[in-house]
Parts: sequence; C-alpha cells; structure tokens
Amino acid sequence: MAVTALLEFDRVGFAYRGAGVSAVTDITLSVSAGEGVALLGPNGAGKTTLLRLAMALLHPTSGDVRVSGRSTRGRMPEDLAGDAGFLFQQPEHQLFASTVGEDVAFGPRRLGRANVDAAVSEALEALELGDVRSVHPYDLPAPRRRLVALAGVLALRAGLLLLDEPTSGLDRRSRRLVRQAVARHRALGGAVLAVSHDGEFVLEALDRAIILDRGSTIQDSSVPRALGVHGAPPAPAWAEIAAALGAPAESRRFEPAVEFVSMRCRERRHA
Amino acid sequence: MKGLETASLGFQYGEGGPAALDGVSVALASGAVSWLTGAPGAGTSTLLLAACGLAPQYTGGVVSGSCRLLDEDPQTAEGRARLSGRVAYVSADPASQLSGIAETVVREVAFAPANLGWPRERIDLAAGAALDRMEVSHLSSRLPASLSGGEQQRVVIASMLVLSPEVWLLDEPGSALDARGRATLAAILADEARRGALVVVASEDADWLAGFADRLIVMAGGRIVRDGVPADLLADPALAVTGAGSTAVADFARALAERDPAFESGRLPVTVADALERWQ
Repeated sequence: MAVTALLEFDRVGFAYRGAGVSAVTDITLSVSAGEGVALLGPNGAGKTTLLRLAMALLHPTSGDVRVSGRSTRGRMPEDLAGDAGFLFQQPEHQLFASTVGEDVAFGPRRLGRANVDAAVSEALEALELGDVRSVHPYDLPAPRRRLVALAGVLALRAGLLLLDEPTSGLDRRSRRLVRQAVARHRALGGAVLAVSHDGEFVLEALDRAIILDRGSTIQDSSVPRALGVHGAPPAPAWAEIAAALGAPAESRRFEPAVEFVSMRCRERRHA
Repeated sequence: MKGLETASLGFQYGEGGPAALDGVSVALASGAVSWLTGAPGAGTSTLLLAACGLAPQYTGGVVSGSCRLLDEDPQTAEGRARLSGRVAYVSADPASQLSGIAETVVREVAFAPANLGWPRERIDLAAGAALDRMEVSHLSSRLPASLSGGEQQRVVIASMLVLSPEVWLLDEPGSALDARGRATLAAILADEARRGALVVVASEDADWLAGFADRLIVMAGGRIVRDGVPADLLADPALAVTGAGSTAVADFARALAERDPAFESGRLPVTVADALERWQ
C-alpha cells in the first residue's frame, strides 16, 4: 500500500470575506507520517490561516485540502478530530472543563477511544501535569494552562498535530517538555505541522521548514537552511556558536553542538 | 517617587489557594526597563496586575500591603482615576484586549484617546505615528478581529503607544511577534524608558530581554529571590536553580560543563560574543 500523506494542500487559495485580499494563494504541500514541518514567515503571512484550513475551521475558496486522504470539503472540525489535533495560538481558549483531567479526557472520550484513562495519564505525565489532574485549569498559571491544552490534543492520539505557536510564552522547562512530546509523537509515526517564531523549537523538534510570505510559499527546505531567512526566526545561539567554530550544518542542534564544541576545545588544549 | 513602590505586597486569587504574591517589597524607578521573570506561578503576571489595580479589580482576589504607582494608590478608585490614560497594560493575550467596538485598526488605536477627550487632530496625528512605529500602518483600514495573532499584538501595543504613557506594564509582549517585530518592540521600550517612562516587562524570553533590560528581578513562590543587573545575574550558575532567567548561551555553557569539567567556571557566558571569546 502506498504511503498516504496525512495532510495535503492542492493549489489552495483562501480569502477572508470582505478582506479584499487573499490570505493564502496557490498553496501546494504535503506532510507525511513521521514528518515534522515548521510553518514560518512574518506576522500576517497566512500561517494561521493555513492551519485553520488544515483543520476545516476554514474551507478553501479554490483548490482542495485533504486530511488522511479525504477532502475537508463539507466537513467540520469535529469530523476531523480522529485524524488531526489542533492547538490554538491562545490555547487557554480551548479549555472549558472544571478539572484538568476532565478537560484532557473530553476529546478522546467523545471520539469513543479505548483506554481513555491511560491516554489522559500518559499525556499529563509527558507534560509534568500529573499533580494537577484535579485542579481547575483556570487556577493554573498561564504557561501550565497552555500545557493542559496541549495534553488534550496529545490524548486524542491523532496522527496529525497542527500546532500554532506551541512554545510561545512558555518557560525553558515547559518548552523542553513540548519538544519532547513532539519528538515522541513523530517517533510513533505521527506528523506535526507547527507555526512558530521560536528558532530553538523549530531546530530541535522539526526537520523541514516552509516559509510563507503574503500567502504564498517562498521556500520549502530543511530547517537549518530556513532559520534567519526572511520572516523566519533566527537560529538559537548555540547553532551560531557551533557554526562560528566550524561545525557542519548537521551539528547545529543542541546535543551535537555540545559534542562538537567540547571536542574542538579539547583538541585545541592538546595542540 | 516616580515609578512603582510596593511594601509587603501580597495577593491571593480566590479562596484558600496559595499566595500569588507573598510580601513583595520593591521600588522600580522610571527611566529604566525592569524585567520580571520566574517559573510558572512565580507571581510576575500578578505583580503587573496588582501594580495598576487590575488585580483584584478585574481578577477577583484579595490584596494586602501597599502599592504606589506614580505616587498614586492603584488599589483605590480615586487612585485609578488619576492614573487613567497614564498607564499602559499589555496582557499576554492580545485578542482579549481589543475593544471589540472599533471597526478598523486606526479606530482601535484612537479608542483610548477619544475616550479621554483628546481633540480630533491630536488623535489622528498620534494614532498615525503609533501605527507607523509598530509597523502596522498598512493594516489601518482592516477589521481588528480579522488580523493574525502577531498583527493583533502589534495593534494592541500601538493602541497603548498612542497615549505616550508614563508607565508600561507588559506581560510576554513578544509572544506572537516575528523576529523583526521583537527587535522593533525592544527598541521602542528602550526609547520609552529613555523618555522617562517606567517600563516593566514580565517575560520568560531571556535571550530577548537580556538585550535591552536594565534590571532583572527573579521571582519564585510570590517572592523576589534575586534582583540585579541582567548581565551579572545571567552569568551566575546558581540562577538556574530557580528555573528561570537563563539565556540559550548560558544553557549551552552549562551542558558543556556537565560533559567536561574543564569548561566549568565561576561565570557563564551570556551572549554569543562572550562564548566565542572563551571557546575560540
């Protein structure tokens, strides 16, 4: 059986009613199982619009969007919930239940998933939220509230994760938890499409980057080739340090960069 | 004094929960950028809200101790009335801060000045300048609700900038901005401080704030645990234990030292230039 792309955009155009200009124009892309794709570009480039189209919150004015091989035409976001999980830019708006545990369980329960409890526990533990399961989401500080929303998305165990700025406003520790959750999802064969202005998240958690500007794709490349390009976030500091010390492109992620710089300084000391 | 002065300021949301602020005594001077940071729940957001009286006015909860902002008491209705139009508060959720009434971006930015009774010519001039400075003039005739998250954040900041406020209280104001927008906002806030405004930013983005903050205050459990010059505090290996206030370079240096004790030193590099100087 041929590998089906989890998400396909086929010459997609979209204009908000009354806006006068197209938000996205002629977008063609596909995201396959295991892939981690960053959606980069300046404010207003059309990144969030593209995610909304992928989730059937919007429908194309031209072209077609397919999730798990099926067109979103005539379908609502809830029809896609088994295939795709969506994290909003202000994810606290996604929370509504009176406890963290109930909120995270809502999606999988509604989909009739088996082992809801196990899925909820796993998602909460992955994001270090096990201790607040019975707490009201709004009694948590904003960064942890954002993690609760992400836990709800993870607990769906959908193949495709659509994430809008998943690390914005998060502290360093929480950002690491998000990166690890994304890595785990991909290792299990899931795909991720994420809008982000966080160069660290993009470099560490994703491989491919699509840069949008004024609603069109201007570049589709590996992440290291995209960072610092028009509207894309800059590379994190360690990538800059490793590059200045002569590290090859594949050694610019955190762990390989630590390895490279420590080897290189050791050589210097012995020389 | 000009600026913000608190004495044993305490705050509790709802009933029975832990204290969000627990005896905060601090004086923040006008004319400088003060940066608040801390792990989630440390109290940085609450301190901003209490400083202008939004807590408990809009959040509920109970305040204790004292707080003076520009020599007014923001915890009283009279104090808030005298502070009206002089204090800019920018929340971490820009969409929630739009008026919901203005049909265009330029009217959104004119909303506060119009309510303060400014003459039309002055509003037009100031609104145009604020939109220009936040690089959103091209969005002037758009419906605010139709904008992207980053564009809304720029518009919300422009709608405060228009007032030339004496106080800026900002909670993760760069969260939805692209790299260029963050550089623009950093320059504006540094300018505002130079003009004499009190600027207080709560943020986890150490790499961004290290570039323009004059003072760093680290909070934990509703208390201030460190207070000093950012370059000094960020270079202190002990800061990491609070779970906050660490730049990407400092993180990297700590990982290097864990791997190879030869990299250990009393002070961490904070910027890329610091690091290259040591390791090149």
